[in-house]
Amino acid sequence: MNAWIGGSLVLFFALCACGLVLCAITRGRYPMRALVGLGTICSALIMIAAAIALVGGHTFNASLWRLDGFGSLSIRLDMLSAIFLFAAGLIYLPASVFVKNLIESRYEGKYPLSRYGVMHFALMASIVLILTAGDAPLFLISWECMSILCYLLVNYERRRNGDGRAAYIMLAMSEAGFLAVVVAFAIAARMAPDWSFASLATATAHLSNRAIWGIFILGLFGFGVKAGLVPVNFWLPRCYTATPAVFIPVLAGVTLNLGFYGILRLNADIAPPHRVGPGLLALFVGSVTALVGILYATTESDMKTMLAHSSIENAGIIVAGIGASLVFHVSGYGLAAAIALTAALYHMINHSVYKTLLFQGAGEIEAATGTRDMDSLGGLARLLPALSVVFLVGCLSIAAIPPFNGFVSEWLTLQSLLRSASLVSPAVKILFAVCGAALALTAALAVTCFVKVYAMSFLGIRRGEWKLRAPKRIKRPHFALVYLASACFLLGIFPTYVIPLLNRAVGPLAGASATASLVPSFFTATPQNQQLPAAFLQDFHNIGAQVGGSVLPGRGMVVLVRGGEQNPVIFAMSTFYGFLALALFVIVTWLIVTRLTRRRQMVRNELWAGGIPRLLPEMSYTATGFSNPVRVVFQAIFRPDIVEDTRKTVAVHFRTAILRRREEEHLVDRLFFHPVGNAISWFARLLARMHHGKLNAYVAYTLVFLLVLILLFRLT
Amino acid sequence: MSFWFWRGLQKGVHSTSYPRNPELAAGVTPGRPVATQFSSAQDAALAAQVCPVGAITTQGNSARVNLELCIHCQRCHFGNVPLMNWRSDYEWTTIPATKHKYEPLPQAYKRSLHIIVVDAGDCGACLHEVKQLNNPFYNMHRLGLFFTATPRTADVLLVVGPVTENMRVPLLKSYEAMPSPKRVLAVGACAVSGGIFGQSFVSAGGVSSILPVDLDIPGDPPPPLAILHGLLAVTGRKEPIDHEATAERGA
Amino acid sequence: MVATPSPLAARKKVQIEEIAGGVRDRFGPNVLLSPGQGGVTLSISLLEPTTLPPISKMLFWEMGCSFGGIIAEEIQGNWRLSYLFLSSGCGWTEVLVEAPSTTSAFPSISAEVHAADWHEREIEDLFGLRFEGHPRLGDFVLHDQTWPEGVAPHRKLQRKTMDPHRDRLRHRPNPEWRPLLVVQDPGAFAMPVGPVYEGGLGQSVHFLLETVGEDVVRSVPRLFYNFRAVEKIAEGQPVSRALLLAERFAATSSFAHSLAFCFAVERMSGTQVPVRAQNLRILLCELERLRHHAGAITGICESTALSVAASQAAIIEERLLRASCQFSGHRYLFGLNTPGGLRRDFSAESCGELLRAIDRAAAELHTLEDGLYLTSSFLDRLEDVGIVDPEKARDLNFVGPVGRASGQAGDLRRDCPYTGYETYQFRVPQALEGDGYARLRVLFQEAYQSAQLIHQVAKRLEPETISVHCEPPAHGLAFGWAEAPIGGALHWLRLDGSGLVERYRIITASFNNWLGFRVAVEDFAFQDFPIILASFGLSATECDR
Repeated sequence: MNAWIGGSLVLFFALCACGLVLCAITRGRYPMRALVGLGTICSALIMIAAAIALVGGHTFNASLWRLDGFGSLSIRLDMLSAIFLFAAGLIYLPASVFVKNLIESRYEGKYPLSRYGVMHFALMASIVLILTAGDAPLFLISWECMSILCYLLVNYERRRNGDGRAAYIMLAMSEAGFLAVVVAFAIAARMAPDWSFASLATATAHLSNRAIWGIFILGLFGFGVKAGLVPVNFWLPRCYTATPAVFIPVLAGVTLNLGFYGILRLNADIAPPHRVGPGLLALFVGSVTALVGILYATTESDMKTMLAHSSIENAGIIVAGIGASLVFHVSGYGLAAAIALTAALYHMINHSVYKTLLFQGAGEIEAATGTRDMDSLGGLARLLPALSVVFLVGCLSIAAIPPFNGFVSEWLTLQSLLRSASLVSPAVKILFAVCGAALALTAALAVTCFVKVYAMSFLGIRRGEWKLRAPKRIKRPHFALVYLASACFLLGIFPTYVIPLLNRAVGPLAGASATASLVPSFFTATPQNQQLPAAFLQDFHNIGAQVGGSVLPGRGMVVLVRGGEQNPVIFAMSTFYGFLALALFVIVTWLIVTRLTRRRQMVRNELWAGGIPRLLPEMSYTATGFSNPVRVVFQAIFRPDIVEDTRKTVAVHFRTAILRRREEEHLVDRLFFHPVGNAISWFARLLARMHHGKLNAYVAYTLVFLLVLILLFRLT
Repeated sequence: MSFWFWRGLQKGVHSTSYPRNPELAAGVTPGRPVATQFSSAQDAALAAQVCPVGAITTQGNSARVNLELCIHCQRCHFGNVPLMNWRSDYEWTTIPATKHKYEPLPQAYKRSLHIIVVDAGDCGACLHEVKQLNNPFYNMHRLGLFFTATPRTADVLLVVGPVTENMRVPLLKSYEAMPSPKRVLAVGACAVSGGIFGQSFVSAGGVSSILPVDLDIPGDPPPPLAILHGLLAVTGRKEPIDHEATAERGA
Repeated sequence: MVATPSPLAARKKVQIEEIAGGVRDRFGPNVLLSPGQGGVTLSISLLEPTTLPPISKMLFWEMGCSFGGIIAEEIQGNWRLSYLFLSSGCGWTEVLVEAPSTTSAFPSISAEVHAADWHEREIEDLFGLRFEGHPRLGDFVLHDQTWPEGVAPHRKLQRKTMDPHRDRLRHRPNPEWRPLLVVQDPGAFAMPVGPVYEGGLGQSVHFLLETVGEDVVRSVPRLFYNFRAVEKIAEGQPVSRALLLAERFAATSSFAHSLAFCFAVERMSGTQVPVRAQNLRILLCELERLRHHAGAITGICESTALSVAASQAAIIEERLLRASCQFSGHRYLFGLNTPGGLRRDFSAESCGELLRAIDRAAAELHTLEDGLYLTSSFLDRLEDVGIVDPEKARDLNFVGPVGRASGQAGDLRRDCPYTGYETYQFRVPQALEGDGYARLRVLFQEAYQSAQLIHQVAKRLEPETISVHCEPPAHGLAFGWAEAPIGGALHWLRLDGSGLVERYRIITASFNNWLGFRVAVEDFAFQDFPIILASFGLSATECDR
């Protein structure tokens, strides 16, 4: 077992190095081929390694080398790492394949990728190192490499996209977060013998409450930079919009998860809190993030920026789940903690899959039409039928519509928040209720947002003046997109297989088994072997919970939480059976309809528009118009500035043009980024007064500083 | 809001029992001129001259009315000239001269008919009478007649007005947007024969020059009961009237 | 409910002498003042067309006149434009400009008198006469997507090549036509409504509601889908046939329009109508007004989906229609007016029956009104929605109940009494808010006033002849006016030397009010649009003629 894992990892690093070298030295189409080919194999390798680890259940350890002063750098692939590693591999595969599709559709294969390939492999290697690092120094070094490589990759098309300001903000925030994380690790390592995660975990058991709080806040917001939490996420929308389409799937699907990994590793594994406070903070921050994210996503009409805000929303949901799990764990409700943490991890995987799908779809749309503005798209379903189907799957998944994967994880998150009814303290319960309501509102707004996205881009008539490029190439469905869409579907209808795998990590962290609490064994239980109460089993067998038991492996297809005597079922759902029922419905309806309308003749005629000569594109709803009610209702948050509302008049009575431009400042910018930035600038300006260029003064500074130091040493 | 419910109940039922029984209330129809026998050919000629649209034709002592041209100016109803006889009826729907036979809609539409109205230059009276079909006195819903908002779900196209040039294209689009089987009803003297506006550079002089008309409902305006009769004729629940035949039977 | 008009909206009661004095003082050498003919009290002939804008501005704004309309004619090879102004002390002032027919352009007064906007556009479309300074000529009566450029159907020359009764121009729709959109906002779009909307039960009008999602930023209605060229068809016809046209072009106000037409003929021939006929004309006018207002109230209730109230109002209206039919032989009062009086008489029994029907209608309207004012969900849709404030109402010359609900106190029955109105007592209801609720209140109050006027008339009916013989002269020029239910209407008639119509001009209240309709719609949510439309109660067919 260990040999297989070790071998895969070694092979992985070797192939990464090969790929890096190949991309560096070859020209023409070879870098792209190396990237695609070797990238695919590498991602498959890490998926294999992670899968073996998860299925086997053993932790893989390996020592790399010793660094003086830091101890030995080691690799440790435990269950938590395995889940994140699997997710990373799951996304890297289509991301690598998609590069080929994108380059071919957009640039007809002529696009220099050598530099990109080098950085791509380096990034892949550093991400794997982050996820498998067994001690703090290796973790932090790889993290820093990852930040810098992300910055370089985001700036890859800087000359094409304009200035590199967005990437610079990302880099600055990454560094700030990194500093916070370093301090957090330093606090944790105060009483530890060395820097490895195992010893840190044992050492933090003795830390004071304040120290734990300190680690928690620094960790939450330090890693929250990468994860995209309010208020440190103002770099995310800018940066995602400026990122080239080749890199955005990795940025959105893989590096975002590193933030969650960091939070879980530091704040749930190494230094878990002793009180409910930190968990509540995470829950609250997560809910606020989710709400802010989806509000801006719903009212945004640039597709990439909208997806960036939606990533913020999903990050909020995940962190809220993590926070809830911490609270339940500290309060002693292991089952609820397990459910919450399962929901968070499940949502992390799901989000990677469908967000990557949507970003790749958006990249395809931009390659095909040349625009990302949903106000001017429309009518793409006829022109790009294959893309519209997979994009629809992505939209349905992210809007949490059964039977796709988004539904399962959102449902589990909301259900776990409902478990707060069993908590004792009323203040905590109120906070849970408020956050639960915020998350429910978020879910509803997410549906609005993605209905708008799909309808305004694909349905209706074309609103803008664009033409379809390279039509023949684009009509074929792309492997990467189909792969991701299938993943969305499979993760949706087979939650009862995913949950036991997630349980490997959830169990130790939450102290209870998620599988035992969520997946009753309807397939294997019989009245004889007493795995489930006989009456309960009979009721569920009567409604068909054992259907498929002879064909499918596993415990059952129903996700269910059992309560006490009065309340045998607290919640239950089965996307698998739901999908079967839905499919049956659709097929039967289709049969009935075709039978009934056999003799009917369908005549196509132009759209009825009230008798006007032509329905023009400017007469159809725009994306801005569709989301305007949301903007109006939440005006207090948006606080838009109508910058120009000049009504050009020839004479007072005749108006020939009414120009309206609305400018909004993002809530986080307004409340956090700009004040903090202004404060820092003010302080810097204050300090700048010292640098006036007079040499004598500088000499004086040195003298003063020396005197102060001598005084200090004398006094202490 | 519940008090409106009680108010409505208090008002009671006002619906006419037409088509089961004829409606005899006063004022439901302006009536129409019918064929008249005069005492002399001169009187008949004087009676005919009064009509501004030439709807009255004479043959010896008798004068006949082509109801499709009548604009209800009432000049043959009262005045100093020999007057035509008037009958207070309202079943005026006829088959247009260009058609030989009228085929009503299939059985399925008998008690469920959807109508779209197009105002193609109407004076306002015909459209107003059409709107009265919804009021509690005529209550078209009890007969299974409904107005729809879009021609896509309509079975009958009801046209009022002489079809102005500006409305020609919208009218054609409305007709083409309807699925078959469909029927076209020309309501009012203007729609049937152009009325007082006739044919001009802006007026087509009636719907029949633009669309194939299935039934005519003459009158200016035809009262709501006449329109109801026409709609029932579309479904086959009533028969269109042959004015020539009834004229022969005498006024 | 008579409110004191605010100083802003009130017009000074200015007498004709003041106007004449003021014009003479300021424009002395450029104008020629003379007493007018055919209903005009003062005629101001301009020697120089450039005086038009300043003199119009002075008459409209300083002298407080309301704008009647522009009548364009081609007389013996010359253009004759007559601008009518009504002073509040009752007197029609006419500003006359004449120019040879080779002139193709006149100065536009729309920048000063905004109410003249559509009059000038109509003349440009129908006569080909340009108005310099008007920014939006064209695509008005003759829609650009249907008619080619350069067709001026009302010109005399057209008679030979385009006999209105025989020829028809067939044009293919212009495939490249696009509407003119004004709002420039990245997310703005234009919602098209009509010309077939409300299931076709709305008269054919096309609206393009330009919006960014919630509020209508701009909307200008596109009318003249019902354009039947009544004015052109009447040319060369005898007066009796033109009377039929006057009755039928806007049949829901047919009595008022035929009345105004008969006045024009009676004024031309100097006929004095017998008193019984005058009183009965008042009775029938008010009957029509009562019935029309019941219909408008039905429309408002239907637009807010208050079905029971709409049904009850519809019952009132149908009863009035049946009463009209029983009384006069036609539900819409066709065929009653003739120059010189009425064409038939009415017995005392039928008057009595009519009075009973009127009383019943008034009582039911009272009950309905009380019920409506208790329904807050209904009032919420009308109050503060579709506001036309008094300044804008004055600026755009709103007339009729819509104008009176925005503080414009004008009513032709009171300001320029005709057919004996001056001998009767009645109030002209007014309101100042200019929202849908104010318009509703004005409609109810006017309906009650009509009912009590009918009672007054019925008491005064004396047995007498019902009409005198009125032979229209061989040639003449006159105009008549009447307060139709929607507002004041002007019928202007010129007969050529053989008793046939040479020029027939109709100016209706709907034409005036449709111009200003957009003011009420803009900056309100487009869900309120059908309600604002219903509360205005405008008739597209009356505007289109």
